[in-house]
Amino acid sequence: MWRETLPNAWSFDYSQKNAVLVPVAALGVGGMLLYWLRSGRKIKTIDMGEGWWGAGERPPKGKEDTSIRPFKIETSDKEIEDLHQRLDRFRFTPSVEGAAFHYGFNSSYLRKVVAYWRNQFDWRKQVEVLNKYPHFHTTIEGIDIHFIHVKPSYVPHGQAVRPLLMVHGWPGSFYEFYKIIPLLTEPAKHGLNEGDVVFEVICPSIPGYGFSEAPHQKEFDSIATARIFHKLMNRLGFKEYYLQGGDWGARITTNMAQMLPQSVKGLHLNVVFVTLEGLGKVISIMLGAYVPWLVGFSREDARRLYPFMQKNIYDVLRESGYLHIQATKPDTAGCGLNDSPVGLAAYIMEKFSTWTDKSFLHKDDGGLESKYSLDELLTNVMIYWVTSSIVSSMRYYKENFSKDPNIHNRVGVYVPTGIAAFPQELLHAPRVWAKDVYKNIITYTYMPRGGHFAAFEEPKLLAQDIMQFVRKVEQL
Amino acid sequence: MWHSQQLEPGVLFQDIMLLEVFLVLGTLLIYFLFSKKDEETLPFKDGWWGRGQKPVTKEDSSIRPFKVETAEEELSDLFRRLDQARFTEPLENSFFHYGTNSVHLRKVVSYWKNQFNWKKQVEVLNNYPQFKTKIQGIDIHFVHVKPPCLPEGQAAKPLLMVHGWPGSFYEFYKIIPLLTDPASHGLGDEHIFEVICPSIPGYGFSEAPHKKDFNSVSAASVFYELMLRLGFSEFYTQGGDCGWLICTNLAQIAPSHVKGLHLNMVLVTKLGLSHLLSILLGRYFPGLFGFQDEDVRRMFPFLKKWLHKILSEFGYAHIQTTKPDTVGCGLNDSPVGLAAYILEKFSSWTDMEFQNLEDGGLERKFSLDDLLTNIMIYWVSGCIVSSMRFYKENLQKGIGTQKHDKLTVQVPTGIAAFPNEILHIPQAWAKKKYTNIVSFHFMPRGGHFAAFEEPELLAKDILQFVDKVEKEQLWKKKGE
Repeated sequence: MWRETLPNAWSFDYSQKNAVLVPVAALGVGGMLLYWLRSGRKIKTIDMGEGWWGAGERPPKGKEDTSIRPFKIETSDKEIEDLHQRLDRFRFTPSVEGAAFHYGFNSSYLRKVVAYWRNQFDWRKQVEVLNKYPHFHTTIEGIDIHFIHVKPSYVPHGQAVRPLLMVHGWPGSFYEFYKIIPLLTEPAKHGLNEGDVVFEVICPSIPGYGFSEAPHQKEFDSIATARIFHKLMNRLGFKEYYLQGGDWGARITTNMAQMLPQSVKGLHLNVVFVTLEGLGKVISIMLGAYVPWLVGFSREDARRLYPFMQKNIYDVLRESGYLHIQATKPDTAGCGLNDSPVGLAAYIMEKFSTWTDKSFLHKDDGGLESKYSLDELLTNVMIYWVTSSIVSSMRYYKENFSKDPNIHNRVGVYVPTGIAAFPQELLHAPRVWAKDVYKNIITYTYMPRGGHFAAFEEPKLLAQDIMQFVRKVEQL
Repeated sequence: MWHSQQLEPGVLFQDIMLLEVFLVLGTLLIYFLFSKKDEETLPFKDGWWGRGQKPVTKEDSSIRPFKVETAEEELSDLFRRLDQARFTEPLENSFFHYGTNSVHLRKVVSYWKNQFNWKKQVEVLNNYPQFKTKIQGIDIHFVHVKPPCLPEGQAAKPLLMVHGWPGSFYEFYKIIPLLTDPASHGLGDEHIFEVICPSIPGYGFSEAPHKKDFNSVSAASVFYELMLRLGFSEFYTQGGDCGWLICTNLAQIAPSHVKGLHLNMVLVTKLGLSHLLSILLGRYFPGLFGFQDEDVRRMFPFLKKWLHKILSEFGYAHIQTTKPDTVGCGLNDSPVGLAAYILEKFSSWTDMEFQNLEDGGLERKFSLDDLLTNIMIYWVSGCIVSSMRFYKENLQKGIGTQKHDKLTVQVPTGIAAFPNEILHIPQAWAKKKYTNIVSFHFMPRGGHFAAFEEPELLAKDILQFVDKVEKEQLWKKKGE
């Protein structure tokens, strides 16, 4: 009898019961073992440490240039001409029949994107769009850090303007925040509130991404990034500030809160990384399918977590190939992408499709233009292209994954935290799990719609959640 | 500062990656509980892989001679792309730890542009007769080399050799003369072969399938049809990498036609409790688990030689299994990107220590001409994307879950275990699947690309295997 039912456990039309128990038990035992081996004493904060990322040896005593230099993005005929030539000579491979987006980026749709890119996309115009916010460079730990700094244009007397650092991820950029920035710096103008919560927004580029210089030394990870961003805020004159992030931004801002909690007024995240190890988690996964309330899951948690194997194991395996190759061979993976703009676009835009909505896999056009404009998507791709930053952006995965990943989870986060849980995010973290790391969750919201690129896709929803979180923190 | 002391220092990965390994181990543990030795044959997999609907008219089964060609336009396009390649400086002291080192890649590209002679290499490729024939709707390319001379009364033994990824039929160019004309190479003249090296559909000059689901069983079925079409009712097969799987499937589909199966790589996809125990205890009680000293030397420490290696070397397999069209896209457009991607494997799969070298040890075992010729085959045929799809078609439904995984192989089998192969499978494990292992040898040197790197060693092993099979007429003894 078992013989008939259990072999179906692997084919992914299965019944939840069969699928959950045995593999999860194996996972649990293995995970438990690992957890045991790696658990150490709980540490209160992360050590700030220090670093030098410039080329060659660190220069001897001599103060680092701490000037903040205004910067404007530029382009040239040569740059555009070179791009056009590469687009023109792109070598296309027909997809298998009926592939949709199941094999990755569909090549028939890619051809349409390339035609638009070549004939209608106006990079000069997009550069002007990018330059509408003030850009700056400043040197920290030997490398040039790029950031935009947007202040509200008009501040009524007595109004407090709160500094907010927003950190992007991969394959995104500072550009993801362009639609949400006005909602945060001038909320009243956009019908968001009476203007009681107003921000000045700072969006840096992670070193190795976009217009921030790439580290020349090995081991540049999220902790180094967190330290550099603290130094940046300090240099801008801020002693206390809010943080917001998703993807790598969530990890970096979390590290910032773990490093210098006294500087972080509040931490807002649209992505929460949880590890699935520990007997407690395994039990809650197994029981949560039947008695969610017993293990602290809400109905919405259960809806988003189950079927467990499908959503958390299979889907993750299907989507994490990029992570695996980037965490091990970034220079190989990125080489061709820095040389073929079309290859770069396919690689990046595939994520904007699947991570926005998993059902987009079934569409011939990957559902991309139902949530974004081609201009927006290509502008983000162009940032990687004109800065040649794809390889250094991928190295970030190797630098972060080759260390003990659980340092982040063993140090608690005690600053006030707000979590916006978007329904199409790849992995859902119920509040009860997030509490393991984030000890001081002030708000936890099930967002009604939206995926991984929250600021890009649903700026208004995200802005509202940030504001209601900050309002609560200010009242504490 | 926060490295765990208990696990292998230096490389610890996010739980998501460990999930892969635990998941595979965990799920396959279930299968151990229900496995039984299955000796049935694997059904032949018919299919239609051409564009659109299968036509009603009978397929053209002619065998047409084929020559690789090139044109000025092809070369000038290539050179333009090489000239305009955009490189990214490596991190200081990173050698090949982050993948292909771009400083060394620049040197390779310079050689490619200024010294590599593609026209000359095309003549080298055309040294052996090549053909194309349509099977199941797609054009299959193959090399067919007959012995230059045969002693009185002796017949040439047909030998099908199947390449893998990222290799090609070209990998066999050095070993072919050792097999078709062994006497001239001091290898005796008892066994002389006529060698057939096809290109897997989707690789090189074989047409790529236009439909989904073309997996190793499909390839084996197509190659079986090919051998029948060439008039062979009995033949030997040899393979490594994808070739290992295709030849294994062929032996499972048509055991009465396959006289012997020779492999330079073996993987097992059904792991059970006994495997788990042998992993935990095999280092201390090798005899108990059927391990020889050399098995222990090659397999342990387990974490380093298996787990760490799988995690650090299989990213390409993970992304090709899930998003082949995405990852291949840029590689079909950037010859430098393609070279970086392929050369990285010729470095680490030949010797993992090569990662510690600034030049990846590439020219220690291969000439740049040979390496670039293989890459050019992918480039001029534009086949990188379709070559990657083969991973998805084989692996995405689940490792170790398909029918052929559950069936054994009763055909006489010879295994040449090279020391620098990515993963070492001991005979004790292999024989659960290959129930009729006639020879199993620990080769003294060499890695994954055996035919390319150590053609003489491999040829000798094939010859001694065939000798055993022929002398003991083993093929007649298999399960009637």
